Amino acid sequence: MKRLISLVLVLTMLASFLVGCAPKDTETTDLDKSEDVEVEVVEEENAEEGLEEDNFKIAEMEKILMEQLEPMPEIGGGEKIGVLIISLTNPFWVNMKDKYEKAGEELGIDVEVFAAPTEGDTTAQLETLDGMIVKDYDAIVFSPIDANNLIPGILRANQANVPVINLGPGVNQDSLKEQGGHLDGVITVDFENQGRMVAEDMLRQMPEGGKVAIIQGIPGAGQSEGRTKGAKEVFESAEGVELVSIQAGNWDRNEAYNITMDLIQAHPDLKAIFACNDVMALAAVEALETAGKKDGVIVYGVDFTDEAQVAIKEGRLDGSITYSPSVYNKAALLLSLKVIQGHDIEGPVFSPLAVVNKENVHEFDGWE
Amino acid sequence: MIKGYDKKKVGIERPFTQLLLLGIMLVLVMFISIKSPHFLSWNNIRNILDHTSIQLILALGMTFVISSGGIDLSIGSIVALTGICIGLMLKAGVSVIISSVIGLLIAGLLGGINGLIISKLKIAPFIVTIGSMSLFRGISLVITEGRPIHAFPPEITYFAKGDLGKINPPIILSIFLAILSVFIIKHTKWGQYCLALGGNEEALRRVGVPISFYKTTVYIFSGLMAGLTGLIYLSRLNAAEPNAGFMLESNTIATVILGGTSMKGGKASIGGTVIACLLLGIVRNGLTLLSISSYYQQLFIGAIIIISVSISEIRLRRQMQIR
Repeated sequence: MKRLISLVLVLTMLASFLVGCAPKDTETTDLDKSEDVEVEVVEEENAEEGLEEDNFKIAEMEKILMEQLEPMPEIGGGEKIGVLIISLTNPFWVNMKDKYEKAGEELGIDVEVFAAPTEGDTTAQLETLDGMIVKDYDAIVFSPIDANNLIPGILRANQANVPVINLGPGVNQDSLKEQGGHLDGVITVDFENQGRMVAEDMLRQMPEGGKVAIIQGIPGAGQSEGRTKGAKEVFESAEGVELVSIQAGNWDRNEAYNITMDLIQAHPDLKAIFACNDVMALAAVEALETAGKKDGVIVYGVDFTDEAQVAIKEGRLDGSITYSPSVYNKAALLLSLKVIQGHDIEGPVFSPLAVVNKENVHEFDGWE
Repeated sequence: MIKGYDKKKVGIERPFTQLLLLGIMLVLVMFISIKSPHFLSWNNIRNILDHTSIQLILALGMTFVISSGGIDLSIGSIVALTGICIGLMLKAGVSVIISSVIGLLIAGLLGGINGLIISKLKIAPFIVTIGSMSLFRGISLVITEGRPIHAFPPEITYFAKGDLGKINPPIILSIFLAILSVFIIKHTKWGQYCLALGGNEEALRRVGVPISFYKTTVYIFSGLMAGLTGLIYLSRLNAAEPNAGFMLESNTIATVILGGTSMKGGKASIGGTVIACLLLGIVRNGLTLLSISSYYQQLFIGAIIIISVSISEIRLRRQMQIR
């Protein structure tokens, strides 16, 4: 018996080792392809205006996003909206929760935010959604951990006539349709476009070309694959640029550090690293600095976290890409209001993106 | 000697597994070094040692725990919580030395809590530590509200990055701890009792050995190793995160098992643990050097573990039948 138990234990451990890190950092957003809604960062326009109370770029993004939402819903009806995000173990989602609540206050909507206990707990997230459906919300905005985990809940919401709006990571729409379900609205960030825009900005910094590498998140995770694909296309089609390696950092700081150390061994003449989020990009910077190689290598991340903002200002990190979470979440709530008020919703809404680099980082003070 | 405690049966060495791993390692080293000229450069070897050292320190603690018949699933969470405690102290202006020492004390304390519950309340280690894994992770998240702590005084990075000629402190520390562990197992009463705990706890109890003292200290040791890892993480990454070390326990248990330490307790192989950590470090490094798609990484490492553990186990069973 003891032997059997120990065997089971070993197998369990090995299995979990094989699976590796469960989806730990299902961080940012998005799903499929789209036409790009880009905000190319225009330096001349606002350089003189300097910093005003409201960040210029936020206003610009808000304008672009709100145009997509025309006509606007009526505001001030005191609607109750439930929001289900991924997990409060990730700074990205912690920030999203704050922004939802702020936007709710602004729009006079009663917003309640829920989350799964950990980023890998797909079942608990579904249970939370099921719980929310019986709470009589006028609409539910949700961001699933993976493409399939919330589908049973969405079906139940459809049956209960609770409108569901998908923000960020996408739902497997084919599977949902097959089972007779539907989404009432989709708002997202285009991952591939994030990868493309970052890669293009990186190429601008390295006119003479050279070797580049990509550090992915968890292989298979939507945002990781999307960003990698977008960046890969740009790197591969650029002249004089050679994409030498794509490695999985699993969104983990320590793994990304190790990978960077190994990369500069294999490719001492490496010119640039694109990491699929800022946490890994900062680890790459840390590793390059330790190896005394930071001067020759450009590093870009994604998300523009507070930590990344500081690092770009200090000239350690070279760039990142962002959108405005406050605008994004406000747009999600407005989209929900439109659904509640019976507007026709056509296709997904895409959040505008902005590349941040050393030259324009000062324009992002007060960014939210 | 203690009744029921037979050195041969309890078995400190089981060299077949280790030789098998060394063989696999040698083949890999030859293959990678033919394919990549950078592999055998000192800088790359140093990288492998640096990456391995962290895994090794954790695995040493786990080797003691597993050979004493226990398991510690909370180490990944202790890594995170220790890092956060040290990070917060540093942010509050406490000196690097004092915050590190207090951090390690906290880590030992966390391990001690595990140990006390396991030994005094006689609850299975698996259950206790799966609980504390969640508990410690939860505390880290509550304290930090899910956000990383960063930007520390530069002195803290000397722990992991200080240049000692051709080598850095974590490498030296891990080698020292590995030698110390061998010494503890072979030459100290504490080490022998740890093995005996896994081999035949009842016999130890009958001869009046204070079981709960030894059990508790094993988990304190494991907690301390996790704390050291947390300190090194913080030092090399210059950041402390509530989700640091996530799933680290499964990697660590896998390396210890791969090294030939038995899940049934009573058998420990420090040498095996060292070789297993190195082997996995070489695999990860090699795949990056050869630009092999990351999809294969998990597959490859998993296959090595299953194949090598199976071969050792089959061999062991045959030997037992012959006897």
